[in-house]
Amino acid sequence: MSYQESNQQATQKKQNSLLAWLDRRYPLVSTWNEHVGEYYAPKNFNFWYFFGSLALLVLVNQFITGIWLTMSYKPSAAEAFNSIEYIMRDVEWGWLIRYMHSTGASAFFIVIYLHMMRGLLYGSYKEPRELVWLLGMFIFLVLMAEAFMGYLLPWGQMSYWGAQVIISLFGAIPVIGPDLAVWVRGDFVISDATLNRFFALHVIALPLVLIILVFMHIVALHRVGSNNPDGVEIKKYKNEAGLPIDGIPFHPYYSVKDTMGAVFFMIPFALVVFYWPEGGGYFLEPPNFEPANPLKTPEHIAPVWYFTPYYAILRAVPDKFLGVVAMGAAIAVLFAMPWLDRCKVKSIRYRGLSFKLLLTMFVISFIVLGWLGTQPATPELTKAAQIFTLLYFGFFLVLPFTSANEKTKPVPERVH
Amino acid sequence: MSTKEQKSTGVDLQRRKILTGATGVVGAAGATFLAVPFVSSWQPSEKAKAAGAPVDVDVSKLQPGQMLTVSWRGKPVWVVRRTPEMLERLESLDKQLRDPASQESIQPSYCQNPSRAINKEYLVVVGICTHLGCAPLYRPAIGSPDVGADWQGGFFCPCHGSRFDLAGRVFQSVPAPTNLEIPPHHFKTANVIRIGEDPQKEGVA
Amino acid sequence: MKKLIAIASFYLMLPLSVMAAGGPAIELEPAQNNLRDQDSLQRGAVLFSNYCMACHSLKYMRYNRIARDIGWSDEEVVAKMAYGQNKVVDDVTTRMLPGVALDVLGTEPPDLSLMARLKGTDYIYTFLRAYHQDENGNWDNTVLKGTSMPNVLEGIQRHASSEDYAQAARDIANFLEYAGEPGKMQRLDLGWKVIAFLLVLLLLTYILKKEYWRDIKH
Repeated sequence: MSYQESNQQATQKKQNSLLAWLDRRYPLVSTWNEHVGEYYAPKNFNFWYFFGSLALLVLVNQFITGIWLTMSYKPSAAEAFNSIEYIMRDVEWGWLIRYMHSTGASAFFIVIYLHMMRGLLYGSYKEPRELVWLLGMFIFLVLMAEAFMGYLLPWGQMSYWGAQVIISLFGAIPVIGPDLAVWVRGDFVISDATLNRFFALHVIALPLVLIILVFMHIVALHRVGSNNPDGVEIKKYKNEAGLPIDGIPFHPYYSVKDTMGAVFFMIPFALVVFYWPEGGGYFLEPPNFEPANPLKTPEHIAPVWYFTPYYAILRAVPDKFLGVVAMGAAIAVLFAMPWLDRCKVKSIRYRGLSFKLLLTMFVISFIVLGWLGTQPATPELTKAAQIFTLLYFGFFLVLPFTSANEKTKPVPERVH
Repeated sequence: MSTKEQKSTGVDLQRRKILTGATGVVGAAGATFLAVPFVSSWQPSEKAKAAGAPVDVDVSKLQPGQMLTVSWRGKPVWVVRRTPEMLERLESLDKQLRDPASQESIQPSYCQNPSRAINKEYLVVVGICTHLGCAPLYRPAIGSPDVGADWQGGFFCPCHGSRFDLAGRVFQSVPAPTNLEIPPHHFKTANVIRIGEDPQKEGVA
Repeated sequence: MKKLIAIASFYLMLPLSVMAAGGPAIELEPAQNNLRDQDSLQRGAVLFSNYCMACHSLKYMRYNRIARDIGWSDEEVVAKMAYGQNKVVDDVTTRMLPGVALDVLGTEPPDLSLMARLKGTDYIYTFLRAYHQDENGNWDNTVLKGTSMPNVLEGIQRHASSEDYAQAARDIANFLEYAGEPGKMQRLDLGWKVIAFLLVLLLLTYILKKEYWRDIKH
């Protein structure tokens, strides 16, 4: 007897049970079936397809540890720094909960960047999944705001001056800029008022938006079905029952596989939490162990590593306003990916050399910019940042032309 | 993937069941371990424990019949120096009490005796009514007007009328269910009582 | 192979690269301190009390926590670090009265609870030993030029052997590393158990996944 058959029998037995009672009042079974039990995913997902479920895992981690941190954290300029040390020293297991949250923040971006990379590799942003990509980009945007505001909360020197620099960017906007920066801060410098409102946004407003967007992202995905490393639509070939031949139900196949992926992920995560929580000064920056001091700037300020590519682009442009524009454009242009890439072939496996080269160039420039963003802005490094900024944007500028009549390989009818 | 194909592969359902069970059990154990930090983080923190450290009370100036209140862990703790007459009267009350031998009540084992004390003369008791947490009043005099003519001296809770004798034992037919709590304490010297620490034990409670 | 590259890149993404942050002008000597060395921590605590606490506080630490973590009784910690003047539950504060430092030194000596996390133990070790006297008899420090802090270990520097002098600085650095994160030893002790558990769970989930995926033919 197969798994599904036994499952069906079990379902029948429960026809008159509590489940049935509930199901008449709430679409329990149909929701489960639509999104898990009978959601047919391509059978050829590879390593890259772990990062979606891992992002969800990290989100849950951030929610739970975050809720627990708010139980001891005090969002005021006078007490914030002390309350973090209180958590680290006096609250039972507080250090573990805090490190899980701080490591989770970095893990979130590692996972999300790899998840986006998967989208680029296999053309997951292309028709009919444009909306899935757009919703994902909004998640990324909200996540950046969430991380930025969360980073102010420890109220250390890096928290303070990092926020100072980023909020000053608003000041670069013509006409309304300076007033806007004051409005965001609620003061003329970063202050108690700023901390308090960032706390509210970080723990309530943005998580709420995030969870709604994640929900929509998944619903949109399940409407159109998952892409796969071959970039072929499994819905084209269905069996007598109307099920995709190359699809397998998410549960149990991908639920067991993703569980394995989750445990696999937890190992490096635990390694960092227990043995490397500072992440070499990238996850927790040493200057942040000094309380915020509005009168003294640290020698070298850099944003947290996950913002450094955009920070490098900002610094590469020798004009304050245009720098902000370039930084915004670097993120905004990603939204347009579904329309910039005009090639019909989705997966990189069957795409032409031009795309492979362009994507490689893009990834390298992103990583190099990320490194440059952590470094002091010497003239040589600024030059380098300018070159890699051009390469970064070059990807998006050249792609519409090369992709229009790209020399692609024949795409198989069904998945491998 | 059709069911036909699955059948031909000869799926061992038993094996799957066992594996799923094993993974489930180990995973649940892991989840339980993971829950421990989150649950125990609600315990009083080091800071709260430091604020609740033992308190030393000097009773050398306490006159017979007098009461002294100190704060320990934010709670009022009473030290009553009882006269021989007060102690004598305690014995006659047993029949009117709900828990005369303090079997249902909270006290260190070294205070589970008729006078509920280490040294009969000194009663050390948490001044919080076991009913709903009000602070009872000290009414040592016989026949105190606000308690009643047959009053033999003790504590009276103004909130809901619970009555306790001079060993903190609760009377029958009042709302409070158990005797007043006795905190851990010991005599550091003849005249200094350390509240919050058991006798002959080093370190902070 | 591709899978391998993907896995490798996942791990490589974590550190990105390890680089030295901008720091003092001179090269720092390695402190080579050992958090597991309880004798060193105890010596460091006494040295801290004798040579640092006149000006510096350790405000995020309590005496009883220090006692518990470095192997002293409550009575010992108060006797050795506070000359019996403090209760075991007190925070480790400076002995200097408020405002005095500003008058005498022209600056407020920082709290040292997090100094080891801010600057590292190598910095503390090197800094403590970096005092030198010019021909006019003025002291300066090569790590932090123009510091208002006097050469507190001068007595040890002059009268003890160079090994003992180095050990004193090492013990202080060690104690400050402990004070920077008192739960660190607990963290290090727990980590490998968590990872061992996860490896067992990984094996189980791997077998489970393999079992189910026998259904799937490629």
